[in-house]
Amino acid sequence: MPKVTVNGTEIEVDKGTTILRAAAEAGFEVPHFCYHPALSIPANCRMCLVEVEGAWKLQPACYSQVTDGMVINTKSERVVKAQKAVLEFILVNHPVDCPICDQAGECKLQDYYVAYDSQESRLRAEKVHKVKVFPIGPEVLYDGERCILCTRCVRFCEEITATNELTIVQRGDRAEIRAFPGRELDNKYSVCTADICPVGALTARDFRFKCRVWLLNSTDSVCTGCSNGCNIHLEHFRNEIQRYRPRFNPAVNDYWMCDAGRLTYKEVHTDRLLHPTNNGAELNWHAVCETVADKLKRAIDEVGSDKIALVLSPQASCEDLHLARKFASDVIKTSRFYMGGKRDGDSDDFLIKADKNPNRRGIEAVFGSTTAALPFSQLVDDIEAGTVQVVYMMDQYMPVDAATAARFVERLDKLKLFVFQAQHQGALAQKAHIALPVCSHAESEGTFVNFEGIAQGFERAFAAHGESLPHWQIFMRLAQAMGKPFSYTFIQQIRKEMFAPRPDSVASGTAEGVPVE
Amino acid sequence: MEERFLSRNFDIPNAHTLAVFEKHGGYQALKRAVTMDGDSIINEVKKSNLRGRGGAGFPCGIKWSFLPKESDVPKYLVINADEGEPGTFKDRYLMELDPHRHIEGCIIAAWALGIRYGYIFVRGEMQHAIRRLEAAVKEAYAKGYLGKNILGKGFDFDLYVHPGGGAYICGEETGLIEGLEGKSGQPRMKPPFPAVVGLFQAPTIVNNVETISAIPFIIEHGGEWFAAMGVEKNGGPKLYGVSGPIKRPGVYEARSGITVRELLEEYGGGMLDGHELKAFIPGGSSCAVLTPDKLDAVMGFETMREAGSSLGTGCVTFMDTNTCMVRVAARLAAFYHHESCGQCTPCREGTGWATKVLDAIEAGRGRPEDLDLLLDMCSNIEGNTICALGDSIAIPVRSYIQVFRSEFDAHIKQGCCPYPAWTKKRLRSSVAA
Ligand SMILES: Cc1cc2nc3c(=O)[nH]c(=O)nc-3n(C[C@H](O)[C@H](O)[C@H](O)COP(=O)(O)O)c2cc1C
Ligand code: SF4
Ligand code: SF4
Ligand code: FES
Repeated sequence: MPKVTVNGTEIEVDKGTTILRAAAEAGFEVPHFCYHPALSIPANCRMCLVEVEGAWKLQPACYSQVTDGMVINTKSERVVKAQKAVLEFILVNHPVDCPICDQAGECKLQDYYVAYDSQESRLRAEKVHKVKVFPIGPEVLYDGERCILCTRCVRFCEEITATNELTIVQRGDRAEIRAFPGRELDNKYSVCTADICPVGALTARDFRFKCRVWLLNSTDSVCTGCSNGCNIHLEHFRNEIQRYRPRFNPAVNDYWMCDAGRLTYKEVHTDRLLHPTNNGAELNWHAVCETVADKLKRAIDEVGSDKIALVLSPQASCEDLHLARKFASDVIKTSRFYMGGKRDGDSDDFLIKADKNPNRRGIEAVFGSTTAALPFSQLVDDIEAGTVQVVYMMDQYMPVDAATAARFVERLDKLKLFVFQAQHQGALAQKAHIALPVCSHAESEGTFVNFEGIAQGFERAFAAHGESLPHWQIFMRLAQAMGKPFSYTFIQQIRKEMFAPRPDSVASGTAEGVPVE
Repeated sequence: MEERFLSRNFDIPNAHTLAVFEKHGGYQALKRAVTMDGDSIINEVKKSNLRGRGGAGFPCGIKWSFLPKESDVPKYLVINADEGEPGTFKDRYLMELDPHRHIEGCIIAAWALGIRYGYIFVRGEMQHAIRRLEAAVKEAYAKGYLGKNILGKGFDFDLYVHPGGGAYICGEETGLIEGLEGKSGQPRMKPPFPAVVGLFQAPTIVNNVETISAIPFIIEHGGEWFAAMGVEKNGGPKLYGVSGPIKRPGVYEARSGITVRELLEEYGGGMLDGHELKAFIPGGSSCAVLTPDKLDAVMGFETMREAGSSLGTGCVTFMDTNTCMVRVAARLAAFYHHESCGQCTPCREGTGWATKVLDAIEAGRGRPEDLDLLLDMCSNIEGNTICALGDSIAIPVRSYIQVFRSEFDAHIKQGCCPYPAWTKKRLRSSVAA
C-alpha cells in the first residue's frame, strides 16, 4: 500500500487511490467541480489542481493516482493561485445572478468563491451570452450562462442511465449543453442532473423559485414511491415538503432517485384527512376512540371476531404494522388479514420497482410469513358472501382494478362497521362509519423494509397535519379504550420487540472511505 | 543547395502517381525494410535522431519503442495530417506532391511495429491533398503494397484516408483520436499515452506526416547517415516553411540545425526591399516571438529553447517593422480562442478573455493595468490545462508583451494603434489564419 504525505500528514492508502481521495482521507478538502464519485473522471474543470513534489505542473487531484512516497501539497502558494485563477476564469462569463438563482446557498461555485477566492472581478469586457430558461427536458431547465461545462450531466446520462440524451454543442466559450437533435432530457431520473449540477445551470422545474435553500430544514427519510426505498433528504419549510433530494446509500440507491418518486411528496399535502369523524361528524380523539371501542366490542359480540377483517397497508411502517398485528391478535382476536396497498406500476432494471409500496417486506417481517394476508380481491367476495362483516382498513389504497375497487366501495354498504384509518380523503372516507386521520411518513418516524429486505429508518420531519396520528398510536389508543392497553411509551420499545433487522440494515450514509460529493 | 530527399520529387511531373514514383526509386525502401525485423528498424530510427515534426519534437524511435509488442487488439498507426498551426504549411506539400513516399513510410512503420490498421487524418480543408492521398492509396492497394500479404510477407496492413471536420484542436494527438472515433475533438487526459491506450482504446502510434515521410530515407541510408544530416539530437533533412514580407516565401528542404539567418537569407532570399526585419516566430504561432538578434539561433529543439522560443514545426514567420505587434498578439489570441475545444476552464475562458483585452488595447481602449492582467492570465493558463493549446496562447501572448511592451504601452497611451491602417490589411494576409 502506497504511503503518501498530504500537507505533512502521512497516510497509507490503497493502490490506485486518487490524490483527491487520499487527501480526503488525510482530512483535507480538495475543491472540485467536475469530479463526482459515481461518474468517470474528465478532469476538465481544473479546480482540484494540487502540487506534487517533483512534478513541474500542478496535478489534477481527481485524476492523478498516488504513488508510493508521493508528497502532496493542497495548500501551497501555487495551488492557492491556481484555485483563484480557475474560479476567476469560471466567473469571467458567469452571470453571477445568485439573487435569482435557485442554487444559491448550495452552489459549489458560490461556496468555493467564498472559501478559495474572494477577489474582486478584473473583467471589464462584455460576457458571453447563452440560452436562459431553456427547457432541456420536461422536468429540468437549463441556463447556458450559469453552466460551467463540467459535463457531470452528460456523463450521468451516459454512464448512469445509459440514455445518452445530452452532449456539448459548439466549442470553446460558446459551448453549451444540449439534448441531441430530436431528443430531450426525459429519462426517468432526469432530475438527478439538477442535483449533481454543481451550479444553478440545471434546475428542477418542480422546485424552481419555490424556496430559498437556506430556509429548508432537512430530515433523513425514505422515499415511499416504490419498494426500492431510496434514501432521501426530505426538505421542508413551515411544515411543508419543498422537495426530495436523494441521500447517498451505496446499498440502496447510491446518489440517485427517480423523478416519479421525487414528486410523491405532493401526496403528503393533498386531500388529507385532518380530523377523526363518526358518520361525518368531527369528534376528538378521546371520543372517537370510545366510539370505535364501543362499536368494535358490539361487533365482536354480534358477529364474532372471525368476521372482522383488518386490511394491512404496505404503505405503513413496521412499527404501525406490528401494533396492527398485536391489536388484531390481542384485542380483536382475529387473524383475518387482507392485503391493501397500491397496485403495481412500471419498473426498470435500475431503481424503479413495480411494487409501489415501500414496506411490503415489512409486513412479511412483522408477521413472519409471506401469506399472512389474503388478497384484496378476495375481500370483496368475502364481504359479498358475508364472511366479513366488519372491515378495519389501513390506508386508502386498493390493489385491484378499477371495476373491483368500485365493487368494493359498493359492498361497503353491507358492512356492519367500516373503520377507515388513512391519510387521505376520498370515496372510502365518505363511506366510512369512522374515519381516523393518519399522518404521513414525514410527520412520523418509523422503519420500512425495502424489496431486498433492508430495513431503513426514517425520521419525523414536522408536526402532524391536523389531528392526524401515526397508525401505531391510534392502535395504542384503541387498545386502551377497549380495556387492553399496550405498554409502550416510546416507538423504540416497539422496535425492540418487532423483529431483528438484518445486520446490514438501517444502512444509510457512508460508502467505504470518505464520501466526497 | 544541398541534395534533396523529402522534397526530391516535388519538381518531377506526376511524381504523385505510382508509376513515376517507382521510376524514381519509390517503394525500394519498403522492399528493403521487409528484409529487416521490427527491432532493427526501430533501432535505426532511434539512431537517426528523427524528432517528431508535428511540433513537440518527441524522438520518433523512442515513441515507437513505447508501443507494446504484444497486444490482444489490433494496433493502430495514426498520421497527424491536420496541419492547422498558423504559419505552417509543409505537410501539405508532402501529401500533394509525394503521397506515395508518405504511404511507403506508413507501411514501413506498420511492418516494424506490427500494426494492422492506419489512418491518415487530413485537415478537412485540404481537399487536394485528400484527393491525392486517396488516389495514391488506391494505387498502392492495386499494386499489393497495401492490403493482405504485402510483398508476400504474410503481413497485412490497411490504410485509410480520413478527412477531418476542420477543427485545429484535432491536430492535438488525442483530440485527433477522438475525432477519428467520431466524437468531437476534445483532447484526452494523459497518461495514458496513445501508445498504450489510443484509438479505439488500442495501442496507437501518432506521428506527423513529415516524420513518417522521412522513414523511407532512414531505411535507405541508415540511421547514422540521417543523424549526420543535422546537429546534436536533431537528425535528418527536414522541410522548413518561410513566410512574411520576404523575397521567396515557400517550403524548403535543408538539414536539421541550420540557422534562422541561413533560412531567411539563403532560402527565403532575404527581406523584401524596403522592409526591415522586426521579429520572427520560429515554428508556428504558438511559439514565443524572437527579435533579429536571435537570427543566428540554430533550428533545433534544444537550441531554440535556449534562444527563448521553440522550434515547433520549423515553419518560420518573419515580420517587418510595419507590423503592429499588438495586432499580431490579438489576432493569434483570437485564433486560439476560436479553436479552444472548451473542455477545460483556463483555456476555454482565458482565451476569450485575453482576446477581449488584447482587442481593447489594439482599439485604443486599453488600460495600463491590462498588461499585468494579461501576463497574470498567461501564467494562470500555462501548465494548468488538459492539452497544450492552453500553453499555445499563454506563451506567445506573454512573449509579445515582454518583448514589445513599448508598443503595447503606446497603444494605451495614445488611445489608438500607432500603425497606419494598411499594415493591418497586409498582416491579415501574411500571418493570420
Ligand atoms: C493544439 C495542438 C495542435 C497540434 N496540431 C498539430 C498538427 O496540426 N499537426 C501535427 O502533426 N501535430 C500537431 N500537434 C502535435 C501533436 O499533438 C503530436 O505531438 C504530434 O502529432 C506527434 O507526432 P510527431 O511526434 O511525429 O511530431 C498539435 C499539438 C497541439 C497541442
Ligand atoms: S449543466 Fe451543470 S452539470 Fe451540466 S455541464 Fe453545465 S454545470 Fe455541469
Ligand atoms: S487546453 Fe483548451 S483545447 Fe486543450 S483540452 Fe483544454 S480547453 Fe480544450
Ligand atoms: S479537474 Fe479535478 S475536479 Fe475537475
